[in-house]
This record gives sequence, structure tokens and C-alpha cells, in this order.
Amino acid sequence: MTSIKVVFFASLKDGVGMSDCIIDADLPISIAELKAVLADHLDNGQILLKDGVQSSVDFEFTRDSDLVTAGVREVAFFHL
Amino acid sequence: MILVQEEDFDVDVLYKRLLHANKTGAVAMFVGLVRQFSDLPNDECSFELEHYPGMTERNLQAIVDEANQRWALIDVCVVHRVGRLSVDDQIVFVGVSASHRAEAFQACDFIMDYLKSRAAFWKKETQGAKSHWVEANEKDQHSLARWSK
Repeated sequence: MTSIKVVFFASLKDGVGMSDCIIDADLPISIAELKAVLADHLDNGQILLKDGVQSSVDFEFTRDSDLVTAGVREVAFFHL
Repeated sequence: MILVQEEDFDVDVLYKRLLHANKTGAVAMFVGLVRQFSDLPNDECSFELEHYPGMTERNLQAIVDEANQRWALIDVCVVHRVGRLSVDDQIVFVGVSASHRAEAFQACDFIMDYLKSRAAFWKKETQGAKSHWVEANEKDQHSLARWSK
């Protein structure tokens, strides 16, 4: 298991009630799988599974199928 | 020049930065302001801009790079404020200098359209005790689509 820093912005930050968290996961993990892990772990985390939630890995936009791999510093979720 | 800052900006200073002796033939500038968004008195309303430090600047640079690829530009200046703002405050400055006006106008328009939809800024409007995050609107998406034709 590897610890991943996850940050949330704007309405998602308000929705999950925090600006960031550390989550443990087996890498590599896809963005879609990470959303599912977060949805299970966070209060109101189900909002991450809704349409329109965008993501980035180390400041680069990502899609649900993209992988979070070893060495990644930060994953972000937000609406644009 | 790309700046994301809490402080206000001076349009005259930014305009002068865009002037390059013997080269500049046109400067197009856009300034966005916080417009009145409520019937409540201004002191009961506030406007907050959040950004993603690191990613926002990177996205802005990518937008400016794209503009430089599409048009022959001399200089570009983007300043975007973040934090708590009030009605009538300046939010954003986009300035483009070029040899000719067509390039300057189009690049300024392009940068502003992409900035609104792709630059990782989020707006929160507060009216009295109620607040909400402003979502992207269809008009912005239509405006953005013009550039992919």
C-alpha cells in the first residue's frame, strides 16, 4: 500500500468537508478506482462518482482511465 | 507575464509593459470586473476566487503558449486575482500586443475564453447567509467551441 495525497477544490471541497486527505492504495490505480476508494472512505464521498468531476495528477489533467503510479505527488478532484 | 495574486493591478502599468519600441502596432486589452450579482446591499455580498496553486499557473501558461502558436504576438500579459473580492473590483487583465490589430483582438478573445473554462479558478458568491459555487455555463462552452472550428 502506498499513501497518496488527494486534494479537493470548490464545491467538491465543501461536499466532502475537507480540502485534502491521505489515502492508502495499491499502485498503480486508475483515477476511476481511486474515486471508488475515496467514495467508500469519505463522508459524502459518493459525490466524486458523479458526472463532471475532473481530475489531475501532479497538475496534469487526467481521465478516469489514467493511472496513478509510484512517484505521484498529488491527485486533485474538481469541477471546471 | 502571468501572475496570480490577491493584490489589485494597475491597468496603465500593465499596458506600458506590453509596449515594445519600434515593434508594437496594436494592443488589445480586456479587464474583467465583479459585477453586481445580488439585490442585497454590496456590503452583504462577497465574491471569492479559489485557484489551484501550481496547476492554475501551468494552465495559464499553456493557454498563452497556444495563443502564441496561433497568432504572431509580440507580448502577452495575464493577471488574475484570487481571494475575497467585492462588487466592482477588478478580477482579471488580459493584454496582448502584436504588429496588427486582428491578431491582438483575436488572441485576447481566445485567451479569455480558455481562461474562463480551463484555468482552474473557482468562484463562490455569497449573498447574506447563503453562498454557492458558480458553475460553468453553456455560453462559456459555446464561446470556447468557436476556436476549435
